[in-house]
Order: sequence, then structure tokens, then C-alpha cells
Amino acid sequence: MKLSLNWLKDYIDPKLSTDALIERLTMAGLEVEAVTVGADTVLELEITPNRPDCLSILGLAREIGAITGKVVKFPKIKNLKMDSRFRGNDKTTKFIQIENKKDCSRYIGTLIRDVQVKDAPREMKQRLASMGINAINNAVDITNFVLMETGQPLHAFDYDKLAGGKIIVRRARAGESLVTLDGVERKLDSSILVIADAQKPVAIAGIMGGRDTQITAGTKNILLESAHFDMGLIRRASRALGLRSDSSYRFERNVNFDGVLTGANRATDLLAQLTGGKLSGRGEILFKAKSAAVQIKVKIADIESLLGLKVMPGKAKAWLARLGFKVTVKAGALMVVPPGNRADIGQDVDAIEEIARMIGFDRLPSRLPVVNARNIPVDNRPRRIKEHIRRVLMAGNVDEIITHSMINSKALAKSNMADIKAARIFNPLSQDQELLRPSMLPSMLQAAVTNINRGQKDLRFFEIGKRYFVDGEKETLGILLAGRRHDDWRASKKEQVGISDLKGLCQRIFHEIGISPVYETNQFPVLDPACAASITLNGKYLGSFGRVDRKILNNWDIKNQEIYYAGLHLDEIYPLPGKVLKYRPISEFPAIVRDVSLAVKKEIPYRKIEEICLKHGGDILRSVDFIEQYLGDKIQPGCKGLVFSCLYQSNTRTLREDEVTAAHERILQALTRDLAVIRR
Amino acid sequence: MQWNFQDIHNQAQSEAQAINGPQALEAFRLKYLGKKGIVAAVFASLGQAQPADKAAIGKGANDLRALVESLIAAKSTGINSAKSQEESMDISLPGTGEALGHTHILTQTMQEIIAVFEQMGFVTIETPEIETEFHNFTGLNIPIDHPSRDAFDTFYLDAEDPSAKGRRLLLRSHTSPGQVRIMKKHKPPMAVIVPGRVYRPDAVDASHSFMFHQVEGLLVDEKVQFSELKGLLTEFCRRFFGPKVIMRFRPHFFPFTEPSAEVDINAEILGIQRKKWLEILGCGMVNPKVFEAVGYPKGKYKGFAFGMGVERMAMLKYGINDIRLFYENDVRFLKQF
Repeated sequence: MKLSLNWLKDYIDPKLSTDALIERLTMAGLEVEAVTVGADTVLELEITPNRPDCLSILGLAREIGAITGKVVKFPKIKNLKMDSRFRGNDKTTKFIQIENKKDCSRYIGTLIRDVQVKDAPREMKQRLASMGINAINNAVDITNFVLMETGQPLHAFDYDKLAGGKIIVRRARAGESLVTLDGVERKLDSSILVIADAQKPVAIAGIMGGRDTQITAGTKNILLESAHFDMGLIRRASRALGLRSDSSYRFERNVNFDGVLTGANRATDLLAQLTGGKLSGRGEILFKAKSAAVQIKVKIADIESLLGLKVMPGKAKAWLARLGFKVTVKAGALMVVPPGNRADIGQDVDAIEEIARMIGFDRLPSRLPVVNARNIPVDNRPRRIKEHIRRVLMAGNVDEIITHSMINSKALAKSNMADIKAARIFNPLSQDQELLRPSMLPSMLQAAVTNINRGQKDLRFFEIGKRYFVDGEKETLGILLAGRRHDDWRASKKEQVGISDLKGLCQRIFHEIGISPVYETNQFPVLDPACAASITLNGKYLGSFGRVDRKILNNWDIKNQEIYYAGLHLDEIYPLPGKVLKYRPISEFPAIVRDVSLAVKKEIPYRKIEEICLKHGGDILRSVDFIEQYLGDKIQPGCKGLVFSCLYQSNTRTLREDEVTAAHERILQALTRDLAVIRR
Repeated sequence: MQWNFQDIHNQAQSEAQAINGPQALEAFRLKYLGKKGIVAAVFASLGQAQPADKAAIGKGANDLRALVESLIAAKSTGINSAKSQEESMDISLPGTGEALGHTHILTQTMQEIIAVFEQMGFVTIETPEIETEFHNFTGLNIPIDHPSRDAFDTFYLDAEDPSAKGRRLLLRSHTSPGQVRIMKKHKPPMAVIVPGRVYRPDAVDASHSFMFHQVEGLLVDEKVQFSELKGLLTEFCRRFFGPKVIMRFRPHFFPFTEPSAEVDINAEILGIQRKKWLEILGCGMVNPKVFEAVGYPKGKYKGFAFGMGVERMAMLKYGINDIRLFYENDVRFLKQF
């Protein structure tokens, strides 16, 4: 809402510098967002949706009067007299019909005859120009002037162009259309309220008039409309039509029911003065009496306990009275009746806020609260798990990214996920927002592509985010690795990251969480079948990792580079009980380490060997530690070389050579028997 | 056994010249001075030597040892042994070891905000991003077709709300629905922080994103005052922006709080010149209509709530001028924080 200070001064002189006025308005809740200084200084105010009464110069003058204690001079409206020359039809209300009183609760049609349409006076044009409104002609300018002055939207019709001299407020019918003042043909339907004459729509109610019935230089007789339309209806129609105006803006926020008459009278007076027209008739339909005055009881004790300071009833009454409230003090309470234009005041806290505004929020006391969170149970496990994950990944040189929750269907198709049923956005602004992601992979690939295209190919990313489905959302960890492994400058060659890096990160995460899941080769639609694994615990799926399928990378235009991806389903992991940490005494006795070197069939996983060792090693076998794997050709065909060590130790005594040898032999025999390994 | 000491001396000298590293030096030492080395062999041969030769052989062995020792001593100072390499290292070279990963600046900012309130006794709860109209609007006193909904423009899902026939599910447009959920489930007293992602169909530019993050706070008890809201947020701003921050509380409007305020801080504290005040958060006393909507007994409880945008806080604090940088994930951005 613009506020011309020249115009304001027609009604009130705040006797404040512009800066001081801006400060006072802002601190009273009418934030000044911009100032244009010139012959007329114009402020741009942010008016919150609860204060439609401030969408006019007079409304703002009233507010400034309350803030400063200065008096507002309201414009005088001359006694409106019907011209005695006009009789009959002009004097009845019969020319107005309202189809549904819910859509339009008040309509005043005023007939002014013998007008002379010409330019408005210079001062009026200047006033409107300051407010950003173009001058058109005296009649139209008056409607705009009164709209800005009082906040009541008005419309002037060329009366002689209204078929049958009728005004019918009704819903548009299917197939009807109207060319509005801006020259655009608008298709209408029954969700849109129109003003029609006997034959057709002549205006879209509350939003914009029609071109064919507008005031022109040749107009002789004017029908002036001042009405009250349903706010929701105007709002929906304005959105459906994509058409907003100064009128619709005010109707959407609700205009003052009592202001319908004030606006009609003020405009009628000005029309008589400036167009030479004669008031010849007025019809009014009104479905409810004046807005019912609600009385609100505001206890002084409640004011004090809400604001945290002592309030004198007399002072509180004075502040509210300045704002136009009727107040009586009664037994420790204020009985308050807000003015008709303050529909936002309906309960005691609303009135208390007005008192607080008048005191000034900055002058209210400030103290720390007693914080009592006792009734909120907190499950710390998910949070602890996320802290562990972040710590492991920080230490592993993995950077956290945050990607959009929405993706487009193309990204899904490119990631070989076209058959996943993703939750769909009903009203996306663009295709990039059409789906909620059912997987983290596409958004993470997008982040990788962005960087690769900028020449940044060594990427180590993770994101803790959500995957979304119509029936809920699931917290997920995605890890993406690409490019060279981090090496220090002393190393002679730089190695590329691989699946073992991912496994290492997963393993460390699960170790921190205290879970020992099983990692097994597996197949997934997004991962290269030759290099993919699942993570499970007691058959429950916790996640997967591996090399992203080459076809998918080609779809994303990622060339000459592999991408490794892990996805962990955190929602599945949170409920799992972690290992309870207990101190294990450190043995005072020496450990004996035996290295083992075996040729093992390629398909046998190391995990199997470890299991057999632990099963047959007895209680002196403390750990089995992997050393290295050999995949070259200096070994039996179909085999791989595995080297690991067995550590034997006791907490109570020094182990004898022969008992270690016996245990170790048991292990080797079992391995030979069960897995047909060959000792090297 | 005859020893040609002259040849041995010549050979040792030429071998010593060829020594190019610590390993070669060690091999050289072993060859001449080791247990099975040449010097040892010479001494061992004394047993079988003619008595007349013994003195010459003994002297030859001692001379050879002295020569080799002096050659080793001369060579080892010149040789780049591991130890000497370390001692002569250019200490201005970068150190080695795995680099550290970086937490996203939005996560860091969010954690910093949450930590301040947790230190003061609040607990953190996350609530869903896919929400119902009741939680996002109705329960918060935001009626359908009311202009106050404009501020919370919303993405709807192509899916029906199972709890409200004919109404769609939506993506929460603010974290305030968390208030409704938590109050529906729990009785006061409570003091909670609700962080998370929110969504609004805004066209993307340097200061708008259709997805961003908020942190919501809610405190409900039987006696809660506006002055306590002021006190808490003042303490928050001091801890987050520094003790010299200047704040102002400006009346504002939110359907779910009454009175409502916006908080500004002085731009100067962040070195910003173009403006005097920067809006950082919205707050207010919980509107009794919200208590009514969650089923609390009329008039029994009071409370306050506040909400702030994490992107905005991070942009102000770190001088980030384009909101899109947060979600683009350029490593040159990520690694700065």
C-alpha cells in the first residue's frame, strides 16, 4: 500500500519528520518497505492481511492519529439531495437484483444524470499519480480517488449502455464471456460472480468492469456501484482469471460493510461537484443490518500476565479509544467494542495486542522463561546414529551435500527407475518439481554432473535426506564417490576410488552404531551386476552399495569416469539395538600370531573362512585378521590367494606352543575339509 | 691364503664411490665389516697363516677396517638417508594425511541454532514434510480462502489425505504444523524445537527457492509471558550473532500467534551497509484458537512460538548472496565451510 504524504496531510498532520514517521509506523506494525522522495514523498507500506482497514489513506490517517495522538479531519460530505426533476423509475430499488445474498450482502446503485465527462482537476490527478494510478477522466478518477481515500472499491457504468437499465448480481453462466477494461476477453463460469444487465455480464464483480459499459467522453448518465462482495469468492475468481486489481485486492481482504455507504456518498458528492451531474436516484439492497457490534471482555489481570507488565486500566482504555474502540472499565476488566472496520479484533488477545502496539513492543519487559520440556519424550537413537554417520564421513573426507527433494520424471527414467511409483506434485511450477524423489541417487548424480561439468571430478559426497512415497517419507543416507582417492604428495601414483572404499565407509558407520550386518554380493537395477552388494541384518534389508551401472552413467552423460554409490535405509537402522559396550580386560600375557596363506576357490567369500576359523579356534583364538588377497596368475586356476593371521591369547596364562599349534591345526583341517583350501 | 690388500683397498674405494643410498651403504658395510664380511675373513685366515705373514695380515686387516670405516663415515653424511631427508625437509611443504569432509553450511547453521535452544532446555523433534491441510493450515487458524494463506502458498500432492476425504495431501509450507502435531500428541508443559525442510511454489532466483529450511520453536505452559519470548530470543540473538547485537521487536501478523512480532537485528553487526535493519524471524504468543484446535481446555495454557529461515540466517551470517548456492553443491562452495 502506497501512502502519499501530501495526500495524508489533507486529513492529519503527524508533525513528525519523514524518518520519525517511518519509525513510528514500522514499530506499530505498519512496516515501511520503501520511500520515494520527491515533490510528494510516498511511502510503501506492508499491510498485513489482518488489517484491511489500513488499505486507504483515511485508514492510515486514523492509525497515525492513534499512534501520535493527533486529530484526523475527515472529509465533509455535502448533504445529498435528489434532484426533483427526476421521478419514477430512478427512485426505486427495482433495477437491482441480487441472486444470492451470500455472494453479495450489500449493493448501492446510485444514478447520476447529465454528467459532463472531461479531465479531472489537476490536484486529483496528482494525488492519483503519487499512488501509481493513471488519470482517465473525471468520473473514473473519482472512483479511484475514493477507493484510495476510503478503501471502498467503486465502479461507474455508462447507464445508457446497461440493457434494460438493470443491475443483476449473479454467477456467470457456462459459455459467457466478457471483454474487460484491459481489452482482454475473459471466459467465465459459475464460479465467477458478475454484474449483469438484462442480457449479459457487464463487469466481473469486485475485480474489473467491462469495456462496453465503461465511461467515455460521450457518457451522459452514470450508474455508480458501491458494494460488498464475498471475500473468498473474489479471491478464487481473481486467481482463476489471473486478474488482480486495486478492487480485488481489497475485496479479498474484506471491505468494511459500513464503508459501502460512505464510499457511495463521498463519490456521489464528488461526481456532483466535478461532473456537474445530478443525483437522480439510488437503490440499495442490504442483507444484514450494520455490522453487529461484538463486545469483548478483557481482564486487566490477563493483559498483565500476557505482556508481563503492570497496566493501568485508564491508560489501556485511552490507548484503545484512540484506535476507535468503545471501552468501559468494569470490575478489573475492560469491556471493549472494536470499530466496524476492525474485523480482526474478535477475542481478548486481539485487544491486548492493540494495547501492546500502543505501548510499543520494544518497551515491554524482557526476561528469560522457565523452560520446562518435561512432557516431551525424546528418542535420541536416530540423532546419535546421524552424529556417528557424520563423524565417520567427516573423517573419511566425504562432504555433505543438500539436494532438492523434488526431481523430474526424466531424471528418474535416466536412473533406470521409471517403473517406481513416485509421489506426484499436483501443482508444480516447473517440470523439475513434478515428482518427490523415491531415491537419493538421481539428485546425487545431478550434483555429481554439476561438478564434473565444471572440471571437478574427484567427488566424495553424502546426503542425509528423505525418500518420499504417497504413504510417507523415509530417512536415507546416500554416499557417492568418484574420481581419485585422496593421497598425499609423497605417493607416486594416484589411485581411483573403488567399491572397497564404500564398503570401508559403511563398515565404519555400522561399527560406530554397534551393528554387525552381513555384506553380500547382490543385484540391483541401478548398480553394475558385477560390482554390487547388499547390506542385511538377520534378513532385514538395510541398504546397498556398488558401482553405478554404465548405462545409467551414459544417460547422465558421465563419461570416462565411474561413480560408486551407497544407499542406507536409516529408518530401518534406527530401531535396531546397538551393541552394548563393555570393557574387556586387556591381557597381561603374550599373544601368539600365526599367519595363514591359502589358495581358495574364487567364489568362496573370505567371510566363510573367518567363520570357520572362529568356530574351530576354541576360546584361545582372539581374532582373525585379514592381511591381503592375491588374484594373479601364479596360483591354481579358479583360485585366489588369501593371507590372514590368527591371534591366540589368554587372559589368565601364557599359552603353550603345543596348544596353539593344536588349535591352529584344527582350523586348517576344517578349512581343508569344508572349503577344500590349499595351503601355500 | 694370500691377500692382495692393495686390490681390496682399490675395490672398496671404487665401491664406496658408487654408493647412492642408505641401502647400498648398509650393503657395503656388511660386505666389509659384517660378521661374514671381508675384514672378518681376513682375521679368520690368521689361524692358518704362516707365522711370518701374520703381522702383515693383521696390519692389513686393521688398515682395511680403518679405511672402510672412514669411507662409511664420509659417505653417510653425504647420503640422503631417511633420517637426513626428514631432517632436511622443507617444512613449508604441506603436511600429509587424509583431508576432512565438510558438513553442509545449512546443517552447521541449523545445528548452531538448535544448540542454543537445547542449551536452554528445549528438546528437538522432527515432524513429517508431507502434511495435511489440518496441520498446515486449519489447526493454525489459517482458513481456506483467506488472504493470510497467500504467505504460505503450497505444493499439493496428487494424493488424497486419508484423514480428510476430497482434500489433498501437501508439502508443508512452514514448520509450524509441527506445533499442531506435537500439541495434539502431548500435554504441556513443553518446550520443543522443530527443524526441517519446507516448500513453497516460488519461482527460483537469488533470494527464492521452492525448498528451504526452517527452525520452529514452541513453549507451552500455564503461565507464559510475551516478555519471556522477548528474553529468550534476545539471548538467542546474542549467542548466535554475538553479544553486541541490537534487536527490535516489531508488531506483525501471523494467524497462529497473537500478539505477533517480527524481530530485526542491526545490519551493522554483520557488516552490512545497504540497510539499517535485517528481519530475522517471526514470533508471537500462541493464538488461543490454536490451543482450541488441538483440544486443550479453554484458557488453561499459554505459550509462545517462533520460526526462522535457516538459509536466511546462513546468508546473513556468512555473506552468501545467492540461495541457489546451497543446493547446487559445487565442491568449491562446500569446502569453504
